[in-house]
Amino acid sequence: MGSDVLEKTIYIRMRHRVHVRPEKRILLKDVAQIIAPEAVLTELQSLLIYQVTESDRNLVVIDVMEVIKKIICHTEEVEVQSIGPAQTIVEVIFNKQRISIPIFILIWFLLFFGSAMTIMNFHDDVSMKSVQEKIYTIITEKKVEKPLLFQIPYSIGLGLGMILFFNHVFKKRLNEEPSPLEVEIFNYQLDLDNYVVIHEHKESVKQVHDD
Amino acid sequence: MSVGAGFVAFLTVLGIIPRLTQLSKSITMIHYYEWAVVCGAIVGVMASLRDPVLHISSYFLIPLGVSGGVFVGMLAAGLTEVVNVFPILAKRIGVDGQIIILVMAIVLGKIFGSIFQWLYFVNY
Repeated sequence: MGSDVLEKTIYIRMRHRVHVRPEKRILLKDVAQIIAPEAVLTELQSLLIYQVTESDRNLVVIDVMEVIKKIICHTEEVEVQSIGPAQTIVEVIFNKQRISIPIFILIWFLLFFGSAMTIMNFHDDVSMKSVQEKIYTIITEKKVEKPLLFQIPYSIGLGLGMILFFNHVFKKRLNEEPSPLEVEIFNYQLDLDNYVVIHEHKESVKQVHDD
Repeated sequence: MSVGAGFVAFLTVLGIIPRLTQLSKSITMIHYYEWAVVCGAIVGVMASLRDPVLHISSYFLIPLGVSGGVFVGMLAAGLTEVVNVFPILAKRIGVDGQIIILVMAIVLGKIFGSIFQWLYFVNY
């Protein structure tokens, strides 16, 4: 007796991050991957988990506990197992962020002249001019005012060194590996996500108790 | 003062050598790289104190110049200010898709500044 289909286990894997439009109904298939017996799979996929309202602003955290509670309410005699992250961060996208071109160009020139001045100050600080003249005199035997044969390759090497470090030439990549800058952005994003999960989680618990 | 300068130089080199070994996948040779740094420092000391003169063709300066530049460039790129502050700044402004263009601004700025300095600036 009792259908043995319903006693199987359902596996849930929450997605890490989901982007939605405002006022969207969030269904189970949006926030998690589901492995379930055929009979209940389609029902589960269209299970309503949350309705995005205006008071949520940009971020909603959906915890796996809420999801499991809703699944058990909907389908009796079922065991739910969760694999992977324990919550999903739902980001509500209002409109695409536009970067204004004039400000971007301004920032570009700021960085350009800023680093030019920095490197000139650095050279002056360490008195690189006299060292380079000395190297020129050591290798060849002439004394020159402007050892350009050393300095022009040096300047090109300066740029090459930075490019080598960042692993990027304009849009082309030198290697499959991610550049240090991308790793830093990723780490920062992870830290932000962790903070959001813990912070928003407390708020959502508070809302439940206010009912 | 020279000991202090050497110490600081050593600390910054610790950022360059791991990055180079990672790029060239030659992490087993790191022992030899350490020796290269030590020998380089000793040669530099002897060159600056004893004023040797070698009669080699002046075209030998070109690879020397490029390697010196690459070293200083990697040093400048590995500074904490660039690697940590830059991505966060780019994400705040919203340009983290085009961060490579801003990095190019810095790279070109340094090349231009260096060439400008050696060609014209030293005349004043």
